[in-house]
Amino acid sequence: MRRTDAADPDMTTTPDAGSLSIIRSTPDDATGSGFDIYIAIDASGQVFAYNGHVDLGTGIRTALTQIVAEELDVALDRVTMVLGDTTKTPNQGPTIASETIQITAVPLRNAAAQARHYLLARAAEQLDQPADSLTIEDGLIRAQSNHSVSYAELVAGGIVRLELRDDVALKDVNSYKLVGRAIPRLEIPAMTTGEMIYVHDVRVPGMLHGRVVRPPYAGVDAGDFVGTSLIAVDERSVADIPGLIAVVHIGDFVGVVTDREENAIRAAAQLKLTWKPTPTLPDLKDIATALRANPSTPRTLRDTGDVDAALANAATPMSRTYVWPYHIHGSIGPSCSVADYTDGGLRVWTGSQNPHNLRADLAKLMALPEAQIDVIRLEAAGCYGRNGADDVSADAALLSRAVGRSVRVQLTREQEHAWDPKGTGQLMEVNGGLDASGHPAAYDFATRYPSNAAPTLALLLTGAVPPVAATLQMGDRTAIPPYDYPAMRVTVHDMAPIVRASWFRGVSALPNSFAHESYIDELATEAGVDPVEYRLRYLKDERAARLVRDVAERAKWEPRPTWTPKEADGDVVRGRGFAYAVYVHGTFPGKAAAWSAWVADVAVNKATGDVAVTHVTVGQDSGLVINPDGVRHQIHGNVIQSTSRALMEEVTFEPSAVASREWGGYPIITFPEVPKIDVVIVERQDQPPLGVGESASVPSAAAIANAIFDATGVRFRELPFTPDRIRAGLLAAEEKAKPASPLKKRRLLAGLATFCTAVVGLIVAASPWRPAIAPITPPDVATYSAATIARGAQLAALGDCAVCHTADGGIVNAGGRALETPFGTVIATNITPDVETGIGAWSFPAFERAMRQGIHRDGRHLYPAFPYNHFAKTSEADLQALYAYLMAQPPVRQTNPETKLPFPLNLRPLLAGWNLLFHSPAAFAADPAKSEVWNRGAYLVEGLGHCRACHTPRNALGAEKASLKLAGGIAEGWTAPPLTALSHAPIPWNEQELFTYLRSGISQFHGVAAGPMAPVVKELSALPDSDIRAMATYLASFNPNAPTHEAQQAMAARLETITSAKPLNASQQGARIYDGACAVCHEPGGPQWFGSRPSLALNSNLHGASPDNLARVIVEGITQPVNGDLGAMPGFAHSLNDQQLTELIRYLRTRFAPDKPAWDGIDTALKAARGTIK
Amino acid sequence: MGPRLREDDAERMTSDPIRLTVNGTNHSIAAAPDTPLLYILRNDLELNGPKFGCGLGECGACTVIVDGVAARSCVLPLSACAGRSVTTLEGLGSRERPDPLQAAFVQHQAAQCGYCLNGMIMTAKALLLRNPHPSEQEIKQALRYNLCRCGTHVEILAAVMTAAGHHVARDHTAGGAADATH
Ligand code: FES
Ligand code: FES
Repeated sequence: MRRTDAADPDMTTTPDAGSLSIIRSTPDDATGSGFDIYIAIDASGQVFAYNGHVDLGTGIRTALTQIVAEELDVALDRVTMVLGDTTKTPNQGPTIASETIQITAVPLRNAAAQARHYLLARAAEQLDQPADSLTIEDGLIRAQSNHSVSYAELVAGGIVRLELRDDVALKDVNSYKLVGRAIPRLEIPAMTTGEMIYVHDVRVPGMLHGRVVRPPYAGVDAGDFVGTSLIAVDERSVADIPGLIAVVHIGDFVGVVTDREENAIRAAAQLKLTWKPTPTLPDLKDIATALRANPSTPRTLRDTGDVDAALANAATPMSRTYVWPYHIHGSIGPSCSVADYTDGGLRVWTGSQNPHNLRADLAKLMALPEAQIDVIRLEAAGCYGRNGADDVSADAALLSRAVGRSVRVQLTREQEHAWDPKGTGQLMEVNGGLDASGHPAAYDFATRYPSNAAPTLALLLTGAVPPVAATLQMGDRTAIPPYDYPAMRVTVHDMAPIVRASWFRGVSALPNSFAHESYIDELATEAGVDPVEYRLRYLKDERAARLVRDVAERAKWEPRPTWTPKEADGDVVRGRGFAYAVYVHGTFPGKAAAWSAWVADVAVNKATGDVAVTHVTVGQDSGLVINPDGVRHQIHGNVIQSTSRALMEEVTFEPSAVASREWGGYPIITFPEVPKIDVVIVERQDQPPLGVGESASVPSAAAIANAIFDATGVRFRELPFTPDRIRAGLLAAEEKAKPASPLKKRRLLAGLATFCTAVVGLIVAASPWRPAIAPITPPDVATYSAATIARGAQLAALGDCAVCHTADGGIVNAGGRALETPFGTVIATNITPDVETGIGAWSFPAFERAMRQGIHRDGRHLYPAFPYNHFAKTSEADLQALYAYLMAQPPVRQTNPETKLPFPLNLRPLLAGWNLLFHSPAAFAADPAKSEVWNRGAYLVEGLGHCRACHTPRNALGAEKASLKLAGGIAEGWTAPPLTALSHAPIPWNEQELFTYLRSGISQFHGVAAGPMAPVVKELSALPDSDIRAMATYLASFNPNAPTHEAQQAMAARLETITSAKPLNASQQGARIYDGACAVCHEPGGPQWFGSRPSLALNSNLHGASPDNLARVIVEGITQPVNGDLGAMPGFAHSLNDQQLTELIRYLRTRFAPDKPAWDGIDTALKAARGTIK
Repeated sequence: MGPRLREDDAERMTSDPIRLTVNGTNHSIAAAPDTPLLYILRNDLELNGPKFGCGLGECGACTVIVDGVAARSCVLPLSACAGRSVTTLEGLGSRERPDPLQAAFVQHQAAQCGYCLNGMIMTAKALLLRNPHPSEQEIKQALRYNLCRCGTHVEILAAVMTAAGHHVARDHTAGGAADATH
């Protein structure tokens, strides 16, 4: 595959047929082509138009097509737009600052007009008519005589290249047929059917899959540790990954390449790396302090009037500080790229917003001349600034070079969140106030914007570029307020980033305008003047004033000179706020893009602190509108995204890295939270077109803050307006806040010492030596009936033989699985009938002795990890069937490592003493007082089923406490809940639920089988319903007061109702994580998904005594459910940190088990759970 | 002492190919059973509709329909799909013969970057399968866990409303209506 463009518009492919192109000579261009093409028309009359910018999901491709087709007088489908392809399009810099239509489209439009003039002149000659008498329709030039000639005919036969002029006459706006119309976007039909090819969908023959592993200093890109922190790479840690091609590391750049994508994902997660500790960051919870402390250089942008004197004389001095948090770009698709490094050249398919800069970066990284690098830009997930697109392209290039084949790399969600150059935190300070007559006295504005161009990561990680933070002067966007303040000083403190940061939609203009537009609102309130009227008094720009008036009128703005408390509807108060801004982009003083104004309506719940933006009236003056639908959709997008940023978005940090790594830790707006939007487009078709990609974001935060003030009378000067911040602010407005409660640590049990002492005493008490039983040649399986073998198979399933005796990815029953026990690791043995390495030489008596007494054929004691104390209860007939089944399986020759327990546990004879104390080899005895079904159940549960082995507490010697039978135990670090009346389940079990759970792996009143219980239920599927029913009957008998199904349903309904609301005393951070990560599947009444949606209010684990199981499930997930019907759950080990998980677990407990005490030991539970992750 | 298998490691490499139906065609896939369905669809079957967004079930970009119900293919192991019928965006319709829901998305120009669109359409389709005429509130609830960063919600809602039989104004003034009581 060479190109994914619809057609290859390379004009050189048919040089003889003729063409007309409008070019601009570039004699100094490094790549040596000598010129850039803007417009080319081929001999078939097709038009190719080239623009160095790219479509970031805004519809620019369609708008540019409209402009070209309009000026050339051709139909839209005659025009092919080629965007951002480094070998074909002019280098017009990155697609930023909403410049495409306003700036880079200008030469394109001129080129189209120039081509039309040229063709018209040629036609005039050919038709022998004056040019102004000719008309053009879709590339056909017609004389009044009805003679005509087409562009194709005029172009044929010669190659004409015209140097682009910028003084060509453009078409009169009044004659526009295409520009100004709502032309549907060209790509949308393909997007709705999966036919659209995004960069994520590029497939090159023989392509491999790569993933990168980023350093622990996530989101930090400056400091001498960057690129120098990797100490060791343990390649053996991924030796078991199938299809592994390479582990690549250069400096701190690390990547893996495999044949299949899922293998790359697994390898990246599993690769063990050793890193140096990394320095801690300044505390970014307190952005104001961190930014004030960050070294900076003041740059005065404006200083008019005598600011200091005016401040000194202000009748009402007002100094205010506004704080903007860090934001994530949050592209829905993590960045992706395919690179092909072969024959000394590099081709990269990318979603970059600046393909030409990327090419220069790649040249530096790979030490290649730019001419040997071809960067092909494809559509990607929405891009709102500098995200990970360039990073991943460089990653792919390095991995492709390492393996000499094409490699596709996609970042993980966690990497995109953590490493995208953040929209930076920003600090705005205003000193000012009112004079005696209520006019603004002065405006002394200072802003701090620690952000730069964020060098492409691989350059820093490999050491190709030194990790020194550059300072970029971009804090000045809309730093000048729009109001005519009599004395004004505007200072930008230029500073290097603290964490990796770069431009994000609205850049510094959005935070700066948050301050400007909040402050003027504060002035108006203080002056007792309506905020819209107050603005208009000082807004000297006529187009701006008209927009402000239009938007206020459309929103039916009611003047409100003084603030009065709002009437509450329950806890909810409503208010509305105004804000206006013009987005200024480019190097100071910059150029203005579209003007924008907002009226935001909010509803604030004073009890919960929830803020809803219910309605936004937004107006925009964008000059000439190319495509009204495109403009309206951009406005909608800006309103929704910026509302999200203002209400809920905030990056959180760990001591030395970014902590927000998925959508739970960094929530964004959802459908129910989206405001109604009313768009006012001010018609200015006679004015030049202005950028519309960002403008409507800029007034957002201030309009919402002003509305919250209107609703509550409390001023919020720091984003985001989360419920906790609002509630705290409202409370603080009345009284001072509250203390926090300390956490207790929990002690760990240590039973080992006791065990050793006891065992030494026992060693003399029992006779530890047992004779070997002579080996046999394996029995002839033909002597066993098929029915016996089938019954043995069921019994093997009941006993979970294969669960313990099969290694990860190993052969069934061939052993080798490492079983973690409190006393050390026991290696499961080979129980296939191989004579030398398995049990092929075991006679039935040897087998029976092992099952009943825990003695190996050779006389050794087996460790009681093998639950022979339960197996002993099995009837002789069943043991025969089990033996028959095992002997009938194919022998597998496999020698497993020996179990090596520490001294004195390695002394197997000690186990004789253990047996003497704790083991009774007696067979099962039925209880004649009980029913046959009960007895059958008891036999299965107590015998081969060995339920007690996990569900009964053990003493310090690892033996079950007989008096606490089934009262709950531990299995592989999971809590095995009590099966008796001691159960913590909020809804008691009954026989039917036990049956359903054991049969299907799920009980609607308790949850799904997970952890070690999942394989148990899976194995039980081999048993008939009657046996499962018997087990349920027996287990239910421990709980004599079991409720009926109807009673259970009533309890469930009650529990779900009382837990349906977010409790006010619960962790707010935990609540957000739950909403973003868990609610999708677990919120009662939520959408329907394939698989189960276990109700957390009913879940036994949430009501248990310890958080162990909950921690395990969240960390590990349930990736292999009991059966496909249940669906699966992802693990969050790599996505949420301990602090986030702790808050989440606290929230879940508070919300879903409100009658239970808070858990101690969440930290220990998390540590244990994390310890199980490879 | 009764330790057991870790469920995520079960049977890897030892199992037989898994059969499933995708967009009406039977396939037999030889891959690790715990491989998320998403990678099978994208890489083995070269279907570009389902997209990787988070791998955690949070965003919805990877949504497909399994046996008539929406499923997040990034967290659905291949093994859970054995014998089932999977429909992807491609299986709904093509540019030539779009599903009415797809046509409604085109009609309302309901895309900016379009990356979230697969999830929006497939989730909405699953909703319409069980409820052909959902209310605006029901649509918002069904789509609430599908994330769109471009802010195309208004147009997406209009498209689904149209497919659900509601009349929607051309300028999309419908939609929205959050409240503090949510
Ligand atoms: S990619 Fe599957 S839900 Fe996000
Ligand atoms: S359209 Fe871009 S994420 Fe939804």
